[in-house]
Order: sequence, then C-alpha cells, then structure tokens
Amino acid sequence: MLRSCTAALRTLRALRGRREGASPAARDPVLVRRWFSTEKVIPKDYALPNPSWSKDLRLLFDQFMKKCEDGSWERLPSYKNSKLVKEQLSQAQLFTRGYEDGLGFEYVIFYNDDEKRTVCLFQGGPYLQGVPGFLHGGAIATMIDATVGMCAAIPGGIVMTANLNINFKRPIPLCSVVVINSQLDKIEGRKFFLSCTVRSVDEKILYSEATGLFIKLDPEKSLI
Amino acid sequence: MMRRGLQVAARLSHHGALPGGPYILPTFSPASAFGSSMDSMVSRFCQEKTDLKNYALPNASWCPDMLNLYHKFLEKTKADGWIRLPSFKSNRNHIQELKLPLVLTVSSDKSDCHIFTRCTETEGQSYEYVIFFHPSKKKSVCLFQPGPYLEGPPGFAHGGSLAAMIDETVSKTAYLAGEGLFTLNLNIRFKNLIRMGSLAVLNVGVEKVEDQKLYIPCVAQSTDQQTIYTKASGTFLQLQLEEDSSQYYTLCLQESLLPTALPTWDTLQSSGGCPGSNR
Repeated sequence: MLRSCTAALRTLRALRGRREGASPAARDPVLVRRWFSTEKVIPKDYALPNPSWSKDLRLLFDQFMKKCEDGSWERLPSYKNSKLVKEQLSQAQLFTRGYEDGLGFEYVIFYNDDEKRTVCLFQGGPYLQGVPGFLHGGAIATMIDATVGMCAAIPGGIVMTANLNINFKRPIPLCSVVVINSQLDKIEGRKFFLSCTVRSVDEKILYSEATGLFIKLDPEKSLI
Repeated sequence: MMRRGLQVAARLSHHGALPGGPYILPTFSPASAFGSSMDSMVSRFCQEKTDLKNYALPNASWCPDMLNLYHKFLEKTKADGWIRLPSFKSNRNHIQELKLPLVLTVSSDKSDCHIFTRCTETEGQSYEYVIFFHPSKKKSVCLFQPGPYLEGPPGFAHGGSLAAMIDETVSKTAYLAGEGLFTLNLNIRFKNLIRMGSLAVLNVGVEKVEDQKLYIPCVAQSTDQQTIYTKASGTFLQLQLEEDSSQYYTLCLQESLLPTALPTWDTLQSSGGCPGSNR
C-alpha cells in the first residue's frame, strides 16, 4: 500500500494547498503535476474520462465533479508510476493501471475529508474475468483494497493492509459500473478500522460488503 | 453420467449464499460431487487434447525456488495422486460445453475476455503461477511468483494481487473438489510482505462442506516455510454447471421469483443487449 500512500501524500499536499486559500490556478492539474514531477515528461492522470468509459461511469463522474465545486469533495489523481518507484525498478507500475483503456480497471476515486469517506467509481473490463461473464473476486478485492486503503492513507499517512474481510453478495457482471463507498469508522492508536460497500449505480443492488483493518507504519521500523 | 437438469428446488436457507432476495436454485446433489464425477470434472477442466496455450508451465522468468518446487510436485503427479492444473486464458476454456444454471445473463459475446490472473503475455511481468491439485485429499498447492506489474509497496507485491491469487487458487480448488462456483466470502490477514520476484507457496484445503457452501482455508508462506505471508479463508457457493451444446449461457429461472435486486437482467433484456438469452 506504500505506493498508494505516496500518491495519497501528494494528493494531501494538493488538498492542503487548496484549503489554505490557494488560488484557483493551483487547482489546475497541470500545475499540480509540475510541482511534483522533476522530469520533463508530465505523467498521465488516469483518473479522468477516456473513450472506454461507459455512459454510466461518465454520468457519475460528472455528478461527483459537481460535488467537488464547493470543496467538500476532491477528485484524487492517479498515476502509473510514482517517482519513488521509478528510481528503484523501471518496470514496476501501479498494479491497477497496467492495462490498455477499457480492458482492465477503469476507475476514479473521490475523497470527502469531513466525512472521512472515499467513493470509487469502478468499471471492470474484459481482462478482469472470473466466472465467465463476471468480475473475478480478486479484481473486486483489489479495488476494495485500493479504495479502503486510500480512505485510511489520506488521514493516516503511510498505512498497510492488515486485514480484509469481504462478503460477496452478488456476482458483478463484467463491464458494468459499480460504486465502492468506504468509510473510516474509528482509529485506535495506529489501527484504522474501515468499512465498505459495493453497490450498483442506482444503489439498488448491494454487490459486496467489506471491513478492513489498516496499520499506520512506524517510521522507525523497516518494512520487513 | 447423470444428467443434471434444472429443477425447482428447496430455497436456500436464509443464511445461505445470496441474501437480499429469494433465489430458487437447482437442487444440489452432493453425491454427484465425488467419486467418478470428480474425475470427469477434473479431466474436462484439464482439456488434455487441446491447442489452447497453457500458461502454467515454466518459463525463463521463473526463479530457482519456483522451478525446484515445480519439479518436485511434478514428480508427485506420477505416483502420489497430484494433478498439475493447466491454466488457460479464460475460465470459459476450462468449462467448455457447460453452462451456468443462473438467472443472470452475461455479456457472452466478448471473445476477448481474459481471466484476471492471466492478463499479460510477457513472461514474468505479472502473475506467474501453477496450481497442483490433489483430488482425494481435496487440497491444492499454488506456486506464485509476483512480477513488477503487481507492485504495491516498492519492491513488494500489492496486497490486492495476493488477494487475487488467493481467490484464484481457492476458487479452482472449490470448483474441482466440490463444484464451488462463486466466492461468498474472502477473509485475508496479511502478516508479511512478499518480495517481488520471489516465490510464495499457497496451501489450500477444503475444511468442510455445509449447506451448499465450501469452507476453504489458505496459508501463503515462503519456500522455507519460515515466513508466513497471509492466513486466509474462503467460502464458496456450490452450483452445478449443466450440459450445454451451445456456446452461450441461457436464462432459466422462474420470473415470479426474480428478486428486484437484479435489474440488470430486465435492463439487458429490454435493451436487447444480452445475446445469450436469444440463443
């Protein structure tokens, strides 16, 4: 989860910048990218619509972008590589961004700081299949881990998954859009307790429910 | 072989597999899950006479640990009752001429679907794994080597990729050992990180079968068994597949019992977007 934490930290800085009365120009994604990128190449933000996004996904995206206008919600940008990783292993890339448009994970995560909530709009493509015609349980688990992890990382900093418990209520058809809603329930010391639901766009179908426990890493200790 | 047609069956118990709506599912006859029926399931799964590419074979990216254990288990397939499971690009390839007896239509016209864990052609890039299954002991061993595409914390595998590998191994075991089809629950406790490019050994075994559900724990550890990476458990719903001469899935549930929580079926039907139902 460290990578998502690195991404979360960058986002956090951007969020704080905005809250401290940054000018509207600071919200410009190009400027934000330049701030963090020391290279000439500007990394692509994958959390933006592309031609593979279905109508449902685009509509939801627009709805949430409207919610961002008053500052209560923030869209989290999403990059394939973090600077940290590039130095270590050039081939490594964020697991969920390794597919061509529309084939794998198409998603965008929004964060609400007051409610300590993340919402992920997720469209799973044909390369994420399990039982023919449906999303692989592992792909769903990956997105739940990513969404819940981000919900813990933004307030908590560098966190790692300690436990994930997922109840699958209904199989998710391939290429459909779901909304993953994650909530920070409580913090006990370095333990972050979160819960999460996966629902259809109209919220009528509950596909999965999950709980997660994330641990804030002790900066004094090494990873292993 | 006994033909298993769709029958109006006893409802699943309220704490059964799919809460939120009453489902009438085919009667599951436990007797058919064992004995010679399992042998035929396994041989159908393995598709021995096929041109399909088998991804669960050694390649240049496999680390020495993985190659060693692979050969050790290959030896066991000769006399100890282990079977090396092939791994094709799509689960559809593993269940040819079978269909799901469910109400859900699927977008079955997509011929380019890949199973999640076989997403790239480049060796060593994402999931490198092979599963050995023991039919009579109802257990499996998966040798898993995560590649750079699966990175989470720098240099280590992403928790999600491990969750996927656990789900995949437990799924295949559930299917072959007891016709488990859908994951109902996955509970994973992450203990230690897996270094990218190193081997993780997943040990999986059916603990019990109750109320049309299979309970399957899974432990992932290092080659020398000194480090435990995760302890997990999966619960699976048993559902029998039916013989099907056509390629596509068909609908076969009584309309009056359609739970309102499945509008996708209606939506797809009315929009004409479900090729499966018309064939």
